[in-house]
Amino acid sequence: MPGVREVVEVMAKALADQPNDVRVTESQHKHMTVIELFVAPGDLGKLIGRQGRTAAALRTLASSAGEREGKQVTLEIREGR
Amino acid sequence: MDTKPTTSTASILDFLNRFIAALGITAAVSVEESADGPRLNLTGDEAELLVRHRGEPLKALQHVVDMAFSRSLPDDTRVFVDALEYRKGKDIELRHMAKFLAEKAKQTGLDQQLGPLNPYERRLVHMAVAEVPGVTTESIGDAFSKTVLISLRK
Repeated sequence: MPGVREVVEVMAKALADQPNDVRVTESQHKHMTVIELFVAPGDLGKLIGRQGRTAAALRTLASSAGEREGKQVTLEIREGR
Repeated sequence: MDTKPTTSTASILDFLNRFIAALGITAAVSVEESADGPRLNLTGDEAELLVRHRGEPLKALQHVVDMAFSRSLPDDTRVFVDALEYRKGKDIELRHMAKFLAEKAKQTGLDQQLGPLNPYERRLVHMAVAEVPGVTTESIGDAFSKTVLISLRK
C-alpha cells in the first residue's frame, strides 16, 4: 500500500546500517500527519546527516508523498528502543 | 560508453523502484552507465511530482541516494538521479550559458561571473569553458556555493 509512511520507510531502510530496526508510525493530529521514524541508536546520526541535510531531504520527500494525498506532513526522527 | 549495469546500479535501481511504489506513482526508471557513474532517469507523467518546487524533491532524492549508495560505487564515480530529464535540461542550459559568457569574455576582455553554483554545477561550467580556447575559469568565494569567474587568458 503506497503512502507517506511507506515512502519514509523505504528511504530509512536504504540509509540505515540496521534496516531491521527501522520502524515508522503515522498518526493524525488535527490537520497534521505526524510521521515518527524510529531507528537504532547508532543510525541516528546517519539519518540526520551533516547539518541535518539528510533529515531535511527526508522531510522534503515525505512532504511530496503527502502532497499526493492532500496531507500536511511533519517528520520526527527518534531513537528506537 | 558502457551500458552494462553494475551490481551497485542494480541495487540503486531496486531502491528507486521501491520508492516509486511507495509513492504510489506510475513511473519507470531508465538506466545509463556513463564514465562518471550511473545515470538514472525517472520517466512517466507522474514523475512530475519530483520536479515541483523547482526540483527540490529531486535534489532531496539525489541526496538520499548519495548517502545510501555512494560507498558502494568506485571512488571517481557518482550516481546521477533525474526525473523527466529535468536536471539534464538544466545542465545543458548551464553549459550554454557558460560558453556564451566565455565568448563574451573573449570579445570584451571583461571578466564574467556565473553563480552562485554548487560543486556539481561548477564542475560543469569549468568543463564547458575549457572547450573555448583563450579563456580560463576560477572558482571564487567560499563554502558550499561559490561563483565561477570566467576571464581572458593572460
